Amino acid sequence: MSDVTHPAQPVTEEALDVLYDLRRRRKRRRLGDIEWFDAAYRVYLVALFGGGTVLWISSSISDTDASAQAVANIAKNGPALLGMITALTFLAALRSGAQGGPLALEAPDVAFVMLSPVDRMRALLRPVTQRARSAASMGAAFGAIVGQLAGRRLPGTPVAWASSGAAFGISTALLWAGTALIAHAIRLPLWIATSLGLAGVAWQGAALSWHVAGPANSAGSLAMWGWRQHPIDLAVPLVAAVALFVGISLLQQTSLDALARRSSLVAQLRFAVTMQDLRTVILLRRQLNQEQTRGTPWIRVPRWISHPIARRGVASVARFPATRLVRMTVFAAMAGVFQAMAIRGTTPAIIGTALMLFVLGLEAMEPLSQEVDQPDRTDSLPIERGELLARHLLAPAIALIPFAAVAAAAAVAVLGTSRAIAPAAILALPTILAGAAGGVVSIVRDAPDPTKSTAQAFVPPEMAGISSAMRVGLPILVSALAAATVLLVRRAEQLGTSTIGAALRGAVGALLLTILVSYWVRRRDQWRRKFRQFMSDGQSYTKQQRSTPA
Amino acid sequence: MTELATRQLTKTYGERPALEALTLSIESGAKVALVGHNGSGKTTLMKMAAGLLDPTEGSVKIGRHDAGTQEARRLLSWLSDTPTFYDDLSLWEHLEFVARLHGVIDWQAHAEELLEQIGLTPRRDDIPTTFSRGLRQKAAITLAFIRPFKLMLVDEPFVGLDEPGKQALLRLFDAASQRGATMVIATHELSFVKQVGRLLALRDGALVYDGAPADTDVHALVLPQ
Repeated sequence: MSDVTHPAQPVTEEALDVLYDLRRRRKRRRLGDIEWFDAAYRVYLVALFGGGTVLWISSSISDTDASAQAVANIAKNGPALLGMITALTFLAALRSGAQGGPLALEAPDVAFVMLSPVDRMRALLRPVTQRARSAASMGAAFGAIVGQLAGRRLPGTPVAWASSGAAFGISTALLWAGTALIAHAIRLPLWIATSLGLAGVAWQGAALSWHVAGPANSAGSLAMWGWRQHPIDLAVPLVAAVALFVGISLLQQTSLDALARRSSLVAQLRFAVTMQDLRTVILLRRQLNQEQTRGTPWIRVPRWISHPIARRGVASVARFPATRLVRMTVFAAMAGVFQAMAIRGTTPAIIGTALMLFVLGLEAMEPLSQEVDQPDRTDSLPIERGELLARHLLAPAIALIPFAAVAAAAAVAVLGTSRAIAPAAILALPTILAGAAGGVVSIVRDAPDPTKSTAQAFVPPEMAGISSAMRVGLPILVSALAAATVLLVRRAEQLGTSTIGAALRGAVGALLLTILVSYWVRRRDQWRRKFRQFMSDGQSYTKQQRSTPA
Repeated sequence: MTELATRQLTKTYGERPALEALTLSIESGAKVALVGHNGSGKTTLMKMAAGLLDPTEGSVKIGRHDAGTQEARRLLSWLSDTPTFYDDLSLWEHLEFVARLHGVIDWQAHAEELLEQIGLTPRRDDIPTTFSRGLRQKAAITLAFIRPFKLMLVDEPFVGLDEPGKQALLRLFDAASQRGATMVIATHELSFVKQVGRLLALRDGALVYDGAPADTDVHALVLPQ
């Protein structure tokens, strides 16, 4: 036996060779384990739906050149507006770093590699590179898509716009990675990170409103190189690269505390993403951000609320942390802004509304989510599951009322006319409720199915891909239907008929959708049970027929 | 020589203190048991010493080095109560990886001996993430002992172990101790406490006893206030 109590001298180079060797071996194995047909099918689905969405948005934007007034407006406000994206990214990066991001290693990497005497900077170099590379790729893709759409109506070729959009996306992504690494390494307290980031956003907001020089105007201006070039904008990619370089040079200061905490959550997060389980993704993101429910509720549950499910729901909503309430307010305000954009003629903006309302629904429906996460307890209660889940919808629905007011106010503010007040007031709450119903569909569809038998599988394997796409698409479709009610008001505006009447029709439609989803939650188990029984009887009958001699 | 020293070591979670201004030192070669009720701060103390948790205040030194530094990591072996493993490596490959990360060249013979002692030889080519709780604990023990160390921190090592496993672990502790390693073992297994030279007891984050186990009523020490 070797003398284990006398540690060898530092072995950094050899240890790193071992680490690199292990990573190579694991990569080979992972590649070997990939079901290539399945992977190709997933790529095909993503290309089909992703490409289809891009084409649809693309075709929704006419090829006619923007008016001279619009071009002048974009020249004046574009850099500050696009710079706001960079300012918000900076805020997100500071907060991510302060909360232990942006890196996430596997738990055994923390236990074995980070606790061994290897040079941590070199051991972490590859995960950092991968993180920065994936962020840059996403930034480039998003920037290029938006850039080419802009290039169809603005001066400059779509290719030039796509290139400058990609450059903007890459720079912003690298700035995010570098800033987060630095904030992590220097252990920036969260309140300072938030204050700094908000100061940047406020400054950029001032630049947008009063045309003063904003901190991220150059970043926004870089995105417009497809049209005109300002050499000073080249400082932006340089600053992003420097931030990343400084972040990497500080890797020795990485907190193992944060890595250990994030590692298990991130593994679950990746699994949830793989399973398209959006609710779990949001839940885990909250945990990653160390967001905890309030110890002391905002309000005590009133005595007059006597039903236990209603009391449980109010108790849950009353403990929402301030950060979640702020986030929900932002989602509601963004939904209002997107609706206003749709009224003004940008039809694809309803996708933005749908996404905002969907996420708002997932955030608000905490009592329902908690119930779904405790299936054993649910099944042990002397109440039918569908009825229990449906009753859990009431408290969050009431909690959404103030957010409807926020959305209406944001829409009216963007439209800037008092004529918008009445339709916004009529449509806001039904739209928010019906939009949040998309979140309800997602939560309930992801719940364990007590009616399902492992022996029964009525969906053929060939349909698995479609089922997978439906799992994500259907809830967002419900939210999109809710958001689309605003198109009735736009149509009325175009035809010169009553916008209030159109808003009322839209509100009724949205409320019907909400009731339909609630009814589905209530009856879903019964319907599924009946369907399975029907299919099972059919199978038995067919088997019996085949076994009977002719 | 002092192998582990803490000075005013404090950890708070929000406003709740998990460990309060703890100052202590443990000499080389000592065998120390750390006891306390659930939530008394044992794991928090050990994780801070291993460099896995940032102290709110104060410091921890491993030998002459700050906890978590490259030198400290070279000296300290950490056996957690929640073992983790790669899900695509066999136990044998884990042993190779950990040993070589710590610069052990001739690791095979030692690995075979450890597996034999702990009773995992037949499972050496299996993936440890598929093991039962007890077998995972045994696998973690082999990984903690495959590498060189001067100080070993062990958190609840007996949980899930069968009797032969416990005996094998105790023999490994004794062997390491005899070779001069310092052992700090956090446990609820009060019968084990008799086998150590020094007992530390934590209650609600504060050190309430530091001395020989024979001089106190251990059962009373682990009761929460």
